[in-house]
Amino acid sequence: MILGKALSTIPGERRAWIEGSEVMTFAGLREAGVRLPATPRAPRVALRLTRVGSALRALCSLDGRANAIVLLSPTLEPSRAAALVKRARCDWVLSDVDAAPVLGDAPVLRWPDQVGPAAQPDSTAQTQWIMSTSGTTAEPKLVRHTLASLTRSAKLDPARGDGVRWGLLYDYTRFAGLQVVLQSLLSGATLLVPARGASSHARLEMLAAHGCTHLGGTPSLWRSLLMSPSFEHLRVRQITLGGEIVDDRILAVLQDRFPSAGIRHIYASTEAGVGFTVQDGRAGFPRAFLDRCEQGVELKVVDHRLHIRKVGEHVSYVGRGERIRDEDGFVDTGDLVEVLDDRVYFKGRAAGVINVGGDKVHPEVVEGVLLEHTGVAMARVYSRANPITGSVVAADIVAAAGGEDSGNLLESVRNHCRSRLARAHQPMIVRVVERIAVTGAGKLARG
Amino acid sequence: MIREKITEMFGSIFREFKEDLEPPPLTDDTPLLGMGLDSLDFAVLVIRLQDELDYDPFTLSEGAYYPTTFGEFVSFYEQFAPT
Repeated sequence: MILGKALSTIPGERRAWIEGSEVMTFAGLREAGVRLPATPRAPRVALRLTRVGSALRALCSLDGRANAIVLLSPTLEPSRAAALVKRARCDWVLSDVDAAPVLGDAPVLRWPDQVGPAAQPDSTAQTQWIMSTSGTTAEPKLVRHTLASLTRSAKLDPARGDGVRWGLLYDYTRFAGLQVVLQSLLSGATLLVPARGASSHARLEMLAAHGCTHLGGTPSLWRSLLMSPSFEHLRVRQITLGGEIVDDRILAVLQDRFPSAGIRHIYASTEAGVGFTVQDGRAGFPRAFLDRCEQGVELKVVDHRLHIRKVGEHVSYVGRGERIRDEDGFVDTGDLVEVLDDRVYFKGRAAGVINVGGDKVHPEVVEGVLLEHTGVAMARVYSRANPITGSVVAADIVAAAGGEDSGNLLESVRNHCRSRLARAHQPMIVRVVERIAVTGAGKLARG
Repeated sequence: MIREKITEMFGSIFREFKEDLEPPPLTDDTPLLGMGLDSLDFAVLVIRLQDELDYDPFTLSEGAYYPTTFGEFVSFYEQFAPT
């Protein structure tokens, strides 16, 4: 599958994307190309591009021509970008942010100097699409995909996309963002790209003004959008959630606000590719998913950790020679789960567990409890450590609009936690804050 | 000053977590163990004192020192108070 070819059947006058003042049609996209200096073999190209439109021109032009395309965030610090460029053995870096002539041993080609007429793909070999993981640990990992593996679960029928407008609130260089971008493009829909640095209000206004119909975000992102008065103007018919644990409350709030919208949450990891979708309006997923092949994946729980196996996809880490699959081909997702009756619930990242005097506390579970309180709009739970006395659970909360004042809220929240959580799990230090930081991937910044 | 803040913090921990207990009178000789506060209560006490006073003697001191009485606890904080 080659991107340029896959888009060739989409009616040319349809809009592929709207970004700032740029409106690009599919016909225009077909004419866009990227020139690269000649190399003896198919080149490996890193992209460091600020605008989604620039990246899409590059991707359409390079898929089927390049040996590999490495998608790097333009906001990544140059030294870290250089390390990834080196690790991925890139020949060129196409960039609109790097002033230096070389990055990680690869010459930097300035965008838009390289923009030129479209070139025909000269090989039918699959171009590798290489991306980095969110990197909750120190070193982000590079993961190798192909266009086929990235679009396995996308609905690719161009007829579906007529009239569909996908809002992009994710970073396009991340897995979730790229999923939205490719889904939109390949189904002939219009991608709406609000300005990256803009406030929640401004981004919502842009999406509403352009008639956004489909929108995806992490639960944290949705919670922060709900706090904006501009949220009123949104009229979506398909809502997607993913990237963090989806709780019953956010599902209820969104369904209440958009009664006729379809809501689904996606469980996925960059390593495993798209995992599976849940559309039954409840948190977690049906226990039955563990007993059968569901949406092309198999799931098992080992030591409370969810393992996933997707048939047929070849995904491997680049550069470190690490195997990420066990002997049976299952990938350990690093997510802890609990099976209760007919449902499997997510408890949180195994790596994020807080040890409070021997009791293992999941920050995500405590956040879920805090979010049950109607006075709490957003919550972040973390550990406060003291070298002698050990860790205690701490929480920052953002007050919901129109609620009680801070003093009463804190007391009320503490009482709520006392009624719902065992002692070691209760947040002992609770602060009301103005806002809680969310990463470029839309997840709570856990530092 | 520090003694007062520590006394107040002990009081607030008792009120919040040990409402059924009668807090003992806090004199220099009052033993810390046996007050009715457990390790989690002390962890919270120390962390909240750090937020309140902006320093933590347990982090600043080099040895692993454990005060055993209320008086020793207060002296420990007074000793490491920033000048």
